Amino acid sequence: MKSLAYSVLLLASLSSSCWAQISTADQLDQQGLAATCANCHGTNGKGLPNASIPLISQLSSEELLAQLLAYKSGNRSGTLMPQLTKGYTDAQLESIANQLGQKP
Amino acid sequence: MNNSRRHFLAHGAAGLSLLGGFSSFARAGLDKAQILVIGGGFGGATAAKYLRLFSNNTANVILIEPNASFLSCPMSNFVVAGMRSMADIASPYDSLTKHHGIKLIRDSVSAIDPDKKTVKLSSGSVIGYDKVVLSPGISLMTNSIEGLAKANQAGVTLQAWKAGPETLMLYKQLAAMRDGGVFAISIPEAPYRCPPGPYERASLVANYLKQHKPKSKVLILDANQDITSKGALFKKAWSEQYSGLIEYLPSHNVTGVDAKTKTLRFEVQDDVRADVLNVLPAMSAGEIAIKTGLANANGRWVNVDFLNFEATATRDIHVLGDAIQTAPLMPKSGHMANQHAKVAAAAIIAQLNDWPINPAPVVNNTCYSFVSEQAAVHIASVHQYDAQAKTFKSVPGAGGLSSEPSNTEASYAWGWAHNIWADTLA
Repeated sequence: MKSLAYSVLLLASLSSSCWAQISTADQLDQQGLAATCANCHGTNGKGLPNASIPLISQLSSEELLAQLLAYKSGNRSGTLMPQLTKGYTDAQLESIANQLGQKP
Repeated sequence: MNNSRRHFLAHGAAGLSLLGGFSSFARAGLDKAQILVIGGGFGGATAAKYLRLFSNNTANVILIEPNASFLSCPMSNFVVAGMRSMADIASPYDSLTKHHGIKLIRDSVSAIDPDKKTVKLSSGSVIGYDKVVLSPGISLMTNSIEGLAKANQAGVTLQAWKAGPETLMLYKQLAAMRDGGVFAISIPEAPYRCPPGPYERASLVANYLKQHKPKSKVLILDANQDITSKGALFKKAWSEQYSGLIEYLPSHNVTGVDAKTKTLRFEVQDDVRADVLNVLPAMSAGEIAIKTGLANANGRWVNVDFLNFEATATRDIHVLGDAIQTAPLMPKSGHMANQHAKVAAAAIIAQLNDWPINPAPVVNNTCYSFVSEQAAVHIASVHQYDAQAKTFKSVPGAGGLSSEPSNTEASYAWGWAHNIWADTLA
């Protein structure tokens, strides 16, 4: 079983250089919104590779939004995500997908 | 204002000098402001990290924390039940310095002066601030139960509710207990830190007893009228897996402890004797918040402005986590403290940049509990800020519970733990 310290070290080595610059209030609000996902999916969407929680950062923004909306509408089943997505507006989910997904 | 005098580099408390008396200056901008984060739990450590991330690593952030390592309360019940070690739930704070440029001062805060805008450390040094982020956690109101302070000091009762030496001591008492013994856990009236935590602890201790001491029993003495979180899921698991091993007694409010006879007294019911006594008294905001005059909700919790988590009692002190008077249906959890921290960090950076503060923040809670070593359940909720009510409101139709305990969710629970630890500390 991995320890807490191991995960902290591993993530620190993975994620040190992936944060987008924030230069407007709007960008700050959007990063703040996307950060509500980070507890489970990792800072800036970069979760630990073997932590058993799906890695979302490999998806494009478009794919990510499609999954989020599918959870929200009930088209995709799951444990937590159907419950959590229903608490966000479609506009918020789109903003999150734009922040955390890969850009073309 | 001489900034070089005010904004020293803090390589440790030893070199600090008196830096008081700066209450009259105009608000400092982001590059000049000194932000002190007090307390390195889920709230404080996350705030320190995200203050740096949200400011493109320009904010001047100092984290004041007495312990060298973070110890996680989530998953600490596995240590109590002998299934994990303390090393599994510990991590040093140095990653916050190495990867985010946060200055660490290993000390505790003895006083905050909101008028002079200074913080006094236990070592005696005084530091000026523009912003304080205070994440003081909880204090255990030991004096609310007669004889508890003495009994706990003697190790006859343990709390093990703040992860630390008592976590391991409680396991050692469990391991030393005779087969046929009684492990009693008492729960205070809500609100308290981590609503489902005591029931998870009872489940994992029962899991241990089932394997090692099957004639023994876990006795849950709950001051509340019923299980405060995930009640149906816990009751189902207990009747299916721990029949005869767990006894649940609601409306049992502990009023006294007799250390000599290991006996608990109650408001109404007969006394209870047990072999291991895990007594959880009522809780309040951490002592420093009360001492500073911030706990203006029944003298126990801190009212905050939910747009930026600024204490309503004074300016420029932002309070996070279990210490606050929460919004309706918002639990006192590590996950929630991490979410508070991000809203507060973004608002502080916006304010220091002279930008508008996000008028519509959102936070969520995800909380897993293990009903056995292999199976877990969850509760989740989403809370959107309501401008009219000036509080977070739980979104109707969102959130919810597991349908049943599962191994899949146990695996997710460990994934959650590793990712939130990294999001908070790495």
